[in-house]
Amino acid sequence: MLLKNIRNFNSSIYISSRHCFRPYSQGNVNEESYIEDEFRVLNLRKTKGKQRENAKKSKPPSVPPPRYQQMATDQDWSAVWPGPRSFHPATVPLPLRQGWVPLHKTTPGKFANAELMKIPNFLHLTPPAISKQCEALKKFCTPWPKILESEEQQEKHFPVKFISSDYVHGLPTIRNPLSRIVTIKLNLDNLQLDKHAKDKFLRLVGERYNEQTNELTIVTDRCPLKQQNYDYAMYLLTALYHESNITEEWENTKQEADMEYYDWHRNKSKVTSTEILNWRSTSDKKIDPPQGYINSVETLMNEGENDYNLNKYKEEVIKMLGLS
Amino acid sequence: MNFLPIIQQNAPISMQIVRGFRSSAALSSVQSGRYKITPKRDRPLTYEMANPPHFIAHRKAWNSWNTSNLRGELRTAQCITEDMFIRKFMTGTWHSLVLSEVIIKRQFNHIRIAALIKQGISARKMYFLLGYTEEMLSYWLQCPVTLELQTVADPKDVIFKYI
Repeated sequence: MLLKNIRNFNSSIYISSRHCFRPYSQGNVNEESYIEDEFRVLNLRKTKGKQRENAKKSKPPSVPPPRYQQMATDQDWSAVWPGPRSFHPATVPLPLRQGWVPLHKTTPGKFANAELMKIPNFLHLTPPAISKQCEALKKFCTPWPKILESEEQQEKHFPVKFISSDYVHGLPTIRNPLSRIVTIKLNLDNLQLDKHAKDKFLRLVGERYNEQTNELTIVTDRCPLKQQNYDYAMYLLTALYHESNITEEWENTKQEADMEYYDWHRNKSKVTSTEILNWRSTSDKKIDPPQGYINSVETLMNEGENDYNLNKYKEEVIKMLGLS
Repeated sequence: MNFLPIIQQNAPISMQIVRGFRSSAALSSVQSGRYKITPKRDRPLTYEMANPPHFIAHRKAWNSWNTSNLRGELRTAQCITEDMFIRKFMTGTWHSLVLSEVIIKRQFNHIRIAALIKQGISARKMYFLLGYTEEMLSYWLQCPVTLELQTVADPKDVIFKYI
C-alpha cells in the first residue's frame, strides 16, 4: 500500500525516466501495464495467443535479382556458360517460353519451368565457344600426310580397312560387349595370287567374298576384346593367303567331275571344234576356234541356257563356220 | 466367357476331374499419373501433373535422361533403381522444399540432378544441403554428381492450373 502511494506520487518522474532507456513504451502507461512489462507473467489460458503475437514473423530470404539483368551485352558468353548444364532462367538472358497450352492461353514462362530444365541444351556450344575450343586443340593436330590425299593413294598404302565401333553411354560404364566386333576389308587385287591360288582362296573364303566389289570381308567377334579380335582377323588373313599358295598333292588328282565350273580347255568341245575346223586340212598349222566362240560356250555352260546366251552361241557358231 | 474343360488323361477314368478355366474381359482402366477433378476445382497441378503419361515426348519430356532406357542397352535395372533412390534421397533431404519432379540426367558417368526448390531456408542451409547431397550421392553411386537447382520464391509459381 505504501509502495502504491509512492508510485502514484512519483508517476510523472518515473515515466520520464523510463523514456530514456525504453523508447518504445508509451507515455500514458497505467499501473497494470507497468507491472506486466516489469515481470513476465505466465498466462496459462492465453498461452497460444500470446505466443503468436510475440513470435517473429519469418522473413523471406533475401534473394538478389536475376543475374541476366546485370549482364553486359558484350560479355563473353562462354565464360558464363562454360560446360553442359541444366537451364537456369536467371542466367540465360533470353525471353523463353515452354509448354503446351490450349488455344488463346499464355505459354508458361522460363521461371519455375521444369520443362526447360529437362531438355538438354547446347548453350555451351555456341559458335564462338566451338571456335575457341578448336583453337585450343589446334596445337595438338598434325598436318594430313600429302601422299595420302586421294582415295587411291590411301587404298594403295593402306589396303586393309579396319572397321570397329566404340560406344558412349549415359551410364557409369565404359564397356560395351558390342565394341569387340572387328571387321576387316581387303580388295583382292592387293594380294598376289596366281590362278590356282585365287581359286583356292575363294573356295576357302566362301561367302565372305563379294564378287561385285572384288572385296573380302572378315568379321571376328569370338574373342572378348577388340585387340584380340583384330589379331585373330589378321591371323586369318595371313593363314588364308599362305594356305591358298600351297598346292597339295591331292589337288593334282582333280577330275573333270570335280570341276566347279566349265573350262573350255579341259573339255571335249575344244577337241571337237578344232577337228571340225581342221577337217581335211593338210597343213601342220592347226586353226584354233575364235575367242568369241570359246567365250560363248563357256557362258552357256556356266550361266545356263537363256535366250541371250543361246542367240550368242548361235551367232558365234555361224560366224565360225562361215555360214552367213 | 470361356469355359474350357481340361480332362486329366493320365488319371483313371473314375478319378477324372473336369477343371474349368474362366476368364473375363480385362478392366482397361488407366489411372496412374492422372488426377481427378475436385468438386470445388481447387486441386493445384503443376505442368508435369497436368499432362498424363501418354503425353511424354509430346507435351512434356522425360524425367530420367540416360541411355539404358533404350532398347538393348546395358544396366537397365540398376539405372532405374539408382534413379528411384536418388529421387527418394532428394525429396527426403530437401524435405518439403522440392516443388517439381526430380530430373536426373546422365552423361557418361556424370549424374546431373535438377529440381525446383522452394526458397524456404537460408542460403547457408541450402549450400550445406547441396554439398551434403552431392557428396553422399557421389559416394554411394561411385560417380560425380552435380545438383543444378532452381529456387522458386513462391510455391504457387509452379502451379499450372487448378482442377
